[in-house]
Amino acid sequence: MDYRFHWNVVFQNMPELLSGAFVTLHVSVLAMLLGIVIAILLAIAKMNNTKFFCHVATVWVEIARNTPALFQIYMAYFGLGALGIHLSPYAAVLSALVFINAGYLAETFRGGFQSIPSTQYSASKSLGMTSFQSYWHIILPQMLRRIYHPMTNQLVWSILMSSLGILVGMSELSGTTQRLQSLSFRTLEFFIVAAVMYYILTKLVLFGSSLLSRRLFRGEI
Amino acid sequence: MIRKLATLVFACAALSSVNASADQLDTVIQRGTLNCGVVLDFPPMGYFDGNNNPAGFDVDYCNDLGEAMGVNVNVLNLTWGERIPSLISGKTDVVIGSTSDTLERAKTVGFTYPYFVFKFQVIAHEDKNINSFDDLKNLKVGAALGTTYETEYLAYAEQQGWGKSNYTSFRSENDAYLGLYQGKVDAIISTNTNIATKLRSKEFAEFVAGPYVPNYDDVVGIIAKRDETAWINYLNLFLVRQIRDGNMNTAYNKHFGTDAPADLIQSLRDNK
Amino acid sequence: MGSLFTPLSWSDSGLILTGVWNTIIISVLAIVVGTALGLIVGFIRSESNKVVNVLFGSLLDVLRSVPLIIQLILFSTLMGAMGSPLAPFVAGSIVLSLYTMAFMSEVFRGGFESVSPSMQTAARSLGMSNWQTIYHIRLPISLRAVFPSWLGVSLSVIKDSALVSVIGYMELLRTSEQLISRTQQPLEILIGVGIFYFIISYPLSYYGRYVERKMAI
Repeated sequence: MDYRFHWNVVFQNMPELLSGAFVTLHVSVLAMLLGIVIAILLAIAKMNNTKFFCHVATVWVEIARNTPALFQIYMAYFGLGALGIHLSPYAAVLSALVFINAGYLAETFRGGFQSIPSTQYSASKSLGMTSFQSYWHIILPQMLRRIYHPMTNQLVWSILMSSLGILVGMSELSGTTQRLQSLSFRTLEFFIVAAVMYYILTKLVLFGSSLLSRRLFRGEI
Repeated sequence: MIRKLATLVFACAALSSVNASADQLDTVIQRGTLNCGVVLDFPPMGYFDGNNNPAGFDVDYCNDLGEAMGVNVNVLNLTWGERIPSLISGKTDVVIGSTSDTLERAKTVGFTYPYFVFKFQVIAHEDKNINSFDDLKNLKVGAALGTTYETEYLAYAEQQGWGKSNYTSFRSENDAYLGLYQGKVDAIISTNTNIATKLRSKEFAEFVAGPYVPNYDDVVGIIAKRDETAWINYLNLFLVRQIRDGNMNTAYNKHFGTDAPADLIQSLRDNK
Repeated sequence: MGSLFTPLSWSDSGLILTGVWNTIIISVLAIVVGTALGLIVGFIRSESNKVVNVLFGSLLDVLRSVPLIIQLILFSTLMGAMGSPLAPFVAGSIVLSLYTMAFMSEVFRGGFESVSPSMQTAARSLGMSNWQTIYHIRLPISLRAVFPSWLGVSLSVIKDSALVSVIGYMELLRTSEQLISRTQQPLEILIGVGIFYFIISYPLSYYGRYVERKMAI
């Protein structure tokens, strides 16, 4: 191998890479939170009897699940741009990730909800709980336990997919890496470091999630 | 017999050692094909014509180089960011892709003599009335990711205290123009040559060329692997001959519609 | 000097079809190779002791924890730097196949572990050899159990194959980008691309859910 590694230039640019990693974390977590909110609405709409809402939710879920993330991001950036709606690279990536997260999580939530037998609901009602109480104390905790793991996976997926920001010039970890490597042309060094940083990032998220789950479920998962 | 055998062994050893030291120049000639990387979203240096075939000044240079070497030419389309990976990964033998010859980059790749000089310029919608570079202060400005004009703009913006919030980078030159065309940004920084070409199209009829980036000439060279000295020597001679034999002027005429300006020719000659 | 921007025309259909074809080829290849390797690795992991498992697992974990786009750029550049450059198709196929393997092996491991030990004991007590047990009992049962997840991973591979464009492979999205820069008509072209992926992916995912529902009953 006749390639000599120059690591200095990477370390000099570490602060920029770290701030890129922060943007990555930021956009993925935000996309997750917004995705959860919309996914709940979509899941409710899909289980609703009103045809219209059900159809809208189905179309959303199917488009999100059956087209590439790369396509969604282009669409949010240049596709909407052609209609005069201008999102910044950050907003384009965020909205594409929210769109997809919502689509996947809606199915997860619906599955989680349907896995709880309806007899539990009737049982808690017969114990004198209100509708809200039975959902809040009985249904929701069980559901959360079932969907917790898929949700964590979705967050990791968001982090990995936010790397597509590189394609619309966003300054997250990959975009920053791309810019820095083109100043010095040290492609290998910069991308190796970026790969390590992504690895650490996903591990941190998984670690945080398992800590949280221990608090939430007291180990009984 | 033994002597014959010895000769044979010696010849084989000699042959293999010749092979082992084959440099890029030999490799290309033996292969019979030159893999020439060009940034094909940078008209008139490189673009796709109506039949989706590569065309442009840089593409002509690739073809001239292939002809000089007596090999076929395979033009590969690259974005700005792919130029170096393509060289290092051996997908291209040479990149004729308007690469600014910074000393930082020369630590990684080998540069030839300059083959073109650009000016960095602003292009914006005519309503924006940009007269000096400082008028960009409160406008949304864009440029292609990883270009020298991006670096120059950001350096200037920081020096003036404008911050980065108004700046948008695009993955490629084309995406930057598409962003400008759609109105994502108010102005973009590009090269005078690309701007002049774009302004001739009806899509950009309402846009005008603005001021130049202060105090900066973008001198660009052909790039190859840094350790391929013989290959770079060959490329250097090729560039000298392009001017001497008039191929440079022909290509310039074809893509810019005039003879190559005397000062451009002179600066290329001086810099070499 | 030709015109810079020309609208889409019928002569572009050849380019689009090349893109479609290339997308299909690389996806199918990655799914086939990834499934085969995933099956082997998944089996080894369900059989082996903790040490081997941890070693294997952390290796696969890296493939799942680094964005595909970074893996593609890194692998393609690294191979070149080591003196054996690969064509975009080859580099793309290798990375995409390994990436697929990382997910498939988890799917299959889960499948193998879902076959209850008592079933194996029963098969052995009927006089089947170890290999017969694997071939006639564990494999068929676990393959049926993991089919929906297998389909899910395969679908995501088809969608992820769009990323191979970053190392210069002319798949559907890359050809459409080229057309977008020539025509400046992003919306029309992108919608066309979206419809293509949807047409391939939707029936398969529908079928996957159908099977899943049927198995649940």
